[in-house]
Amino acid sequence: MEFFIQQVINGLTLGGLYALIALGYTMVYGIIQLINFAHGEFFAAGGYMGVILLTFLAAHGYMETHPWFCLFGALLLTMGYCAMLAMAVEKVAYKPLRYASRLSVLLSALGMSIFLQNGLMLTQGVYDKAYPTDFTSGGLDFGLITFSYMQILIVAVTIILLVGLNALVFRTRIGTAMRATAQDKVMSSLVGINSNRIIATTFAIGAALAAAAGIMIGLYYGSVRYDMGFVPGIKAFAAAVLGGIGNITGAMIGGLIIGMVEIFAAGYLSSEYKDVWAFIILIAVLYFRPTGIMGENVNDTRV
Amino acid sequence: MKRFLFLSLSLALALTVATATAGHAKTLKVGSLSPLTGPYAADGNDIANGVRAAIAVVEQEGGIPGYDAIELFAQDSACDPRQAVAAANKLVNEKVAFVVGAYCSSATIPASETLDEESIPMLTPASTSEKVTERGLAHMYRLCGRDDDQSVVAVKFMVEHLKAGTVYIIDDKTTYSQGLADNVETRAAATGIKVLGHDHVNQGDKDFSAVLTKVKQADPAVFYMSLQNSSSGALMAIQARRMGINAPIIGQDAVYHPQLMEIAKEAAEGMYLTFGFIDEERPLYKLFREQYATMGFAAPGAYSGYAFDAAYAALKAIKESDSTDPDKMKAALMAMDYDGATKRIKFLENGDSGSNYIIRKVQGGEFINYWNPETNTLY
Repeated sequence: MEFFIQQVINGLTLGGLYALIALGYTMVYGIIQLINFAHGEFFAAGGYMGVILLTFLAAHGYMETHPWFCLFGALLLTMGYCAMLAMAVEKVAYKPLRYASRLSVLLSALGMSIFLQNGLMLTQGVYDKAYPTDFTSGGLDFGLITFSYMQILIVAVTIILLVGLNALVFRTRIGTAMRATAQDKVMSSLVGINSNRIIATTFAIGAALAAAAGIMIGLYYGSVRYDMGFVPGIKAFAAAVLGGIGNITGAMIGGLIIGMVEIFAAGYLSSEYKDVWAFIILIAVLYFRPTGIMGENVNDTRV
Repeated sequence: MKRFLFLSLSLALALTVATATAGHAKTLKVGSLSPLTGPYAADGNDIANGVRAAIAVVEQEGGIPGYDAIELFAQDSACDPRQAVAAANKLVNEKVAFVVGAYCSSATIPASETLDEESIPMLTPASTSEKVTERGLAHMYRLCGRDDDQSVVAVKFMVEHLKAGTVYIIDDKTTYSQGLADNVETRAAATGIKVLGHDHVNQGDKDFSAVLTKVKQADPAVFYMSLQNSSSGALMAIQARRMGINAPIIGQDAVYHPQLMEIAKEAAEGMYLTFGFIDEERPLYKLFREQYATMGFAAPGAYSGYAFDAAYAALKAIKESDSTDPDKMKAALMAMDYDGATKRIKFLENGDSGSNYIIRKVQGGEFINYWNPETNTLY
């Protein structure tokens, strides 16, 4: 029983992180029907920005005096940085191709992914970068079950961000504009919505969430590496498809399911093949229910 | 179009001939083969830097008679069999006198066959798989130890020093790491240690929480991790300690790297690792450290010292035999018996140089010599 509960905690942590990344895929897809393959790189960039900021703060001793302030300050700055990075990427790589075929945009996304990953490698080096660990150790210990502080932090921040995103999309003017643009770009611009700005905002929000996941994964695992975006990116993509690509609630549920399945497969079956499960699910969903758990039928005649 | 192609090709050819004959300065070309990019880049760059340090030391000692300079061609093997063979072919084309490398046994073995066709001597500073020297290649040498010896020391330490009754083993499924873990499992079982579990993870995994929960549940007296990479080892150590696994952790030579403490920090404290004995008082070791620091490299990694010894011994062989002929170099290498930087350099018939594994321990953020398996005493 303790074993089971511990694995649920592990699964929640990992699933929450996948959910945060999956949201970026799903929001961008929802609005311009593009699988943004460069999304994993925003996550990696967030991890690096986090390590740079926190190392700087730790070197100046602020980490010891104001740990929580540093942590949330770094989190917000990192999210802001990645949001701007995503807007720049959108402007350079996707906006000029707004009316090109979908395949061209997809290739542009792949190219951007390679460009960003190699950019990280060249500027930050091939070595792993270690996070300062001043406040990442320790946890609530119930004998056989341990809920580490980092896990608590990840779950808490994930929940806050998810609730915040839901409120933003469904309760605010900008959220309404986003949903309208997703439904019909031409019609929404006729009623006065600046669709280019809305698309850029969507990219920014998705990347900010991925950046939050990046900094938390860096804290949780203790280090980041330039190629860290690839595997979680692919798994989050599977999560977005599982939930129904384009559907925000679906991406959250999909992320949690992929995280749980991965942890339980590793815990009860074999950790050797844990990565396989995300992809088995992806194939199964595409075969049996291509629209995903929460997905609606997407009208493909829409341009 | 065809004419243009022909013209440009002949021009290119003329240029290469021109550069080949230009200048009468004779340069000795040597090669290194190690993963300079990808997940093993840290160890790979250590190896190339070790060779660079050796070249600098030899040049300071007066260089090689008959040559004005020694030039290093540092190739990237990426720990990948195909790329290693491609890189080895490049070195063959450059006509290097010898090659130091590679790192991963799975890359060293195919690359060594390419080099063997041209009889180019290969000295590996890091590949510990038994197969490296057991294929009967004429010009294959090894400066580090062997896996079969490494597992003996690890198990002996569990029995004689830790007096452990149970062990849990995790490896990451490479030729090297799984082979070593399997050896440890068989030997541990043979000596009466109960193997509570033997799990595999994937290279590059970051989340070990599920498998570590299993380890915690099993509550072993010793936790043995055989991973290909020090950063994976660091991540596993952090997560294990955070999860409340307090059993002593034993790692191996691939986890042995300053990066382990950089990333894992206090989680690495008290970890044991099987690694070759290093006597820091040896004159050549001191010379190596000084040169390494002067050249501005970070603290030497696990294999910098072995790479230094490999290149130094090969250059010494060229100097002594006054030739780059592989057979003459072989005669000189086989006759060698001197104190190198990391160990006594004396090659065996098959090209091995003998294992001298001991237990080293992480203490105060540094590796220290800890336990001597021959005498069962602490250093």
